[in-house]
Amino acid sequence: MDDDSRFADFVAARADALLRYGYVLSGDPHDAADLTQEALLRLHRAWSRVCGKDNPESYTRRIMARLHISVWRRRRRERLFWELPDQASPGTLPSETEQDLWQALKGLPRKQRAVIVLRYYEQLTDAEIATVLGVSRGTVRSHASLGLSKLRSSLPHPTATGGSAS
Amino acid sequence: MSDHLEEMLRGTLGHASELAPRAPSTLSAHIMRRSRVRRMRAQALVAAAAVVVIAGGAAVAVRGAGHDPTAVTPTVTPSPTATEMRIPASVEEVWPEAVRKIPAKLPGGRKFQPRGFVDDHTLLLETWESFEKADAIYAYDLDSGRIRKITSIRTPKGVYASGYAVGGGRIVWQTIDVVHGKPVTSFWSAPVTGGKVTAIATERVVRGRGDRLAVVGDTLAFSLLEGGVFTVPLDGGAVEPVAGAAGHHILRWPWVGAPGEYTPEGETSFQELLNAETGETSRAVVHPGEEYVRCGVTTCSGTKADRTAFYRLRDGSQERPLPEKSSLFGLARDRFLTVRLPNPPGGQALYDVVTGKSGDLGLRPNAKGQSIAVEAGLGDGRLVAYPLGNEYVIIDLAKIR
Repeated sequence: MDDDSRFADFVAARADALLRYGYVLSGDPHDAADLTQEALLRLHRAWSRVCGKDNPESYTRRIMARLHISVWRRRRRERLFWELPDQASPGTLPSETEQDLWQALKGLPRKQRAVIVLRYYEQLTDAEIATVLGVSRGTVRSHASLGLSKLRSSLPHPTATGGSAS
Repeated sequence: MSDHLEEMLRGTLGHASELAPRAPSTLSAHIMRRSRVRRMRAQALVAAAAVVVIAGGAAVAVRGAGHDPTAVTPTVTPSPTATEMRIPASVEEVWPEAVRKIPAKLPGGRKFQPRGFVDDHTLLLETWESFEKADAIYAYDLDSGRIRKITSIRTPKGVYASGYAVGGGRIVWQTIDVVHGKPVTSFWSAPVTGGKVTAIATERVVRGRGDRLAVVGDTLAFSLLEGGVFTVPLDGGAVEPVAGAAGHHILRWPWVGAPGEYTPEGETSFQELLNAETGETSRAVVHPGEEYVRCGVTTCSGTKADRTAFYRLRDGSQERPLPEKSSLFGLARDRFLTVRLPNPPGGQALYDVVTGKSGDLGLRPNAKGQSIAVEAGLGDGRLVAYPLGNEYVIIDLAKIR
């Protein structure tokens, strides 16, 4: 199979998972699509090299995380390939507590949010997060602790974090 | 306590991820097409190790070859009919009526960027607070060398003034901000004679990113990167779409067209044209196998299937080959483009397809092989400006007959 058909198979199989990751990373459907599109463009450019010595999916996820915390996104000039529904969110979260937490996540600085997402969505260790973001383990720990304490204090229902409410 | 928050985070992020948008089935085909265009456009830069591309008067920094689709040049292979350009005389010798050299720094030592012409003898300059972030604009009289501040510009962090246009005694420009994750464009103006900045109040928020502005009488016309041409009174008021111009971009008022300059998948730029004042339309002829075709008001240029470069009229007639190593960002004013000179000595010439004359821009690579690259076709169609030693070279293409 040639490189392009292997790339097409990879995109067909993994694009939705990458969009889900981009969505929790950024909290916004447009940003999710933007991050996925740019990361896949860069993956295509590096495809033969990446397949030789790396896992294309972890490579793409690493690019997405780094793009998200970089200044690149604020000077964006590319357009999306596809039209997204105009609503902010196509559905809702199952409980009010989760909706509150999702809102509180929006208040976090990008780096803190990225660390939280890599820890609790990607289930990475702090050492792995440090590698993905290209920062020290100490930086990961401090972003995580600042992010968690900010989430705890900004949640409107204190009982929700106290272990008694669901 | 924190354990519960962590558990909730896992649940919330997991549930939220299910609300993400889905990928279209055509995604991989789009990615591959766009990736190929980026690669082609990056080739010349990698070879030349260029660090900055000057788009007419505006410097575009290249941060990693190929990541900024507007800032790189496709390459052209030798054509049997085209010949490599010899080193011509300097631009000031070839076109003395159009070329001026001015000091590269303001009195006091500040750097500036030329942004356009205020009138036949006055240049609009911009100074920067930080990279690409304007903090003031000035009028520079090319005859007397006198400089006059027009106004200070203040923009929030991450917001940049761009798209300067002149008319009705005013300088107008835009800023693009992101509100609730979506781009919103605002317009501003200041009197050419100097004075305060005023916002051009629009009755509704302009959603999208402004790409080009034009002042037409007492009206501001603008187009969006996302497509669409609109007008608003310079004094503020209702934003009205230009009929028949949905998806269009301003080329040179009253000409608007589609697709615009931004063609990430190698589409023909400005293949469709509409005269916003008369309603006249034009569709440029493009043959199968042709690539990087960029059209202006009267001409198109691009490469043929054998990778040789051509230009011709929009109707497909009067086709001629372009010199080897021609830039493929289109013709400024439908007649000018830059051509890379043989290396050594390297550098670029400005070439006029109408008279066949060419002039050496005087740029040479440094010891590391780096040089700036000038793209006449990416500018406003009139100003070509670039730093050279302690001076700025200013070329007014409108003065070349």
